[in-house]
Amino acid sequence: MDEKLLVRRAQAGDFEAFTDLIKAHKDRIYGLALRLSGNSQDAEDVVQDTFLKAIDKIDQFRLESSFGTWLYSIALNQARAMLARRKQEDLKPIEEYLPVRVAADDDSGGHGHGSHGLFEWKDPEKLLEDKELRQAIDKLIAELPYQYREAFLLRYDQGLSVKEIAAIINESEAATKSRILRARLALREKLSEIFETRYDREVS
Amino acid sequence: MTGKCPEYLNDLNDYLDGTLDQATCAEIQRHLGECENCRIMIDTLRQTVTLCRGGKPEPLPPALEARLNGLLKTRWEQKFGKRPG
Repeated sequence: MDEKLLVRRAQAGDFEAFTDLIKAHKDRIYGLALRLSGNSQDAEDVVQDTFLKAIDKIDQFRLESSFGTWLYSIALNQARAMLARRKQEDLKPIEEYLPVRVAADDDSGGHGHGSHGLFEWKDPEKLLEDKELRQAIDKLIAELPYQYREAFLLRYDQGLSVKEIAAIINESEAATKSRILRARLALREKLSEIFETRYDREVS
Repeated sequence: MTGKCPEYLNDLNDYLDGTLDQATCAEIQRHLGECENCRIMIDTLRQTVTLCRGGKPEPLPPALEARLNGLLKTRWEQKFGKRPG
């Protein structure tokens, strides 16, 4: 059924219409919450709080964005609030995560990649079946400073456009892009360290 | 190794995501042909996303699903009142 019609019905008090609206987004929001928080207990809380908040605010939804985008911004606010409750440092600079030079503004006169150990990874996709590696990667993402983790996951885990993310996190497109790039560079660097030590460069 | 690499770095994401204008794209491609480090950089950045993507969607745990339905229904009735049926 047409989303607008469902929204109008929900706003008029039709619970079935509301559950139809959230059905398509439940798993994605849980997946996002899981990766944002790094644990299932917090992720469950975020999902629950998101949908309760959506009920409270349903009359305020004006169809200016898609229902999904609206739900995402609620979910991100809930995730931020949850992390604040957990007293995690959510706004530490990326340099703390990655003490070496990250990136885009590197004008040190070197190669400019801000990296050591620039070598090829052979068929990393095959390694996704390696459970230990998957866990190591999940940990890398969970440790990424929150604002970078959020932008990166929305872009690549959830497939939203830069424009959509900028609207959700309330930042300019340029700032959003920069966060995504920095997150990607930092994760690349960390993965490189893993490949260097664990697989001794002989991944094939 | 060239002094221009840092400039390309700013455009890498757009290049990888296919959202870069054609002229800059061509320039980067030309550069990648000449610069081994940048080529490795771009390959490994592409692979970074492959590796860090969740892969599969995460279904709600059944216990949460069950609890959620009840919770939402209760909240809904608090807001809109109980409906017959």
